Amino acid sequence: CWCIDIHYGTLPIKKNTQQTFIRLGDSMSGFLDGIRCGDCECNVDWGERRNTIASVAAGVLFFTGWWIIIDAAVKYPDEGQFHHAYHTCGVIATLAFLMINAVSNGQVRGDSYSEGCLGQTGARVWLFIGFMLAFGSLIASMWILFGGFVVPKKPVYPGIAIFFQNGFGLQVWTHRGSLAVTDLFTLGSFYCKRQRASVIIHFL
Amino acid sequence: MAGIKALVGLSFSGAIGLTFLLLSCALEDYQKYWPLFVLIFYVLSPIPIFIARRVSDDTDASSSACRELAYFLTTGIVVSAFGLPIVLAHTTIIKWGACGLVLTGNAVIFLTILGFFIVFGGGDDFSWEQW
Repeated sequence: CWCIDIHYGTLPIKKNTQQTFIRLGDSMSGFLDGIRCGDCECNVDWGERRNTIASVAAGVLFFTGWWIIIDAAVKYPDEGQFHHAYHTCGVIATLAFLMINAVSNGQVRGDSYSEGCLGQTGARVWLFIGFMLAFGSLIASMWILFGGFVVPKKPVYPGIAIFFQNGFGLQVWTHRGSLAVTDLFTLGSFYCKRQRASVIIHFL
Repeated sequence: MAGIKALVGLSFSGAIGLTFLLLSCALEDYQKYWPLFVLIFYVLSPIPIFIARRVSDDTDASSSACRELAYFLTTGIVVSAFGLPIVLAHTTIIKWGACGLVLTGNAVIFLTILGFFIVFGGGDDFSWEQW
């Protein structure tokens, strides 16, 4: 939806005052009066926007992480500067991301329509393994940065690239974290507008 | 018809975006045609959204997992279209000036594609979105 609804409030036409477009002060100086912000009748409410914004944010973070590692791999192609086995960190983090996002919250709580292949306990175990892989790859990226690049005094950009790929690109931040962040923004906006935050139910 | 003016405006901005892309390749200082690979990303970017709209033909569940996946993939393709020139310039295959021109062209083209989706709704079963 478009939140700005511009209509020309004043026209320099000297017609009869039944003209709906002529306002008080019959001149061009008030032509910005028609701009109303924050008054939008959005046909898509914030509940649906939340998922879209979270998906877009997740996509940005995930693919930025992968492009950072592609850049590092192109810049330092030989094995001595950027050991090729370090890519495993990003691959495991991607796998963890896919695992985490494959399970919806409803299946973990047990109140979805279909139980899925594994049931509620299976969904919880899957999510647990996914989170463990994610945190493990984050820790591994920090270890690689310090153990593989800082201490042996090599050019440190590939290590930093692995760390950023994991820390900001591929972690829990993507999708679930983005959902949490958009929920926080929703709460903040409702608080500012003094409305009842009935959307808290959407949390987790 | 949602307006000839919108169509003409969008096609003009599309032409401007492609001009930026071609300038980054064909100017005398640059003369490298590697940035034309972002054309693949331009073509690929609306495809996940089209597929999701065609597959999930129930419009009430508008926040389905398929649409979210489509937004995720589309965002990824857009990020890749910005990432490729930066990686090319960082490894000095193209110059940073050419990279800047490609990024500007990217921004204009993706805004054009977004404008198409907003103005034309991306399909005739979404005609209520044209207002």
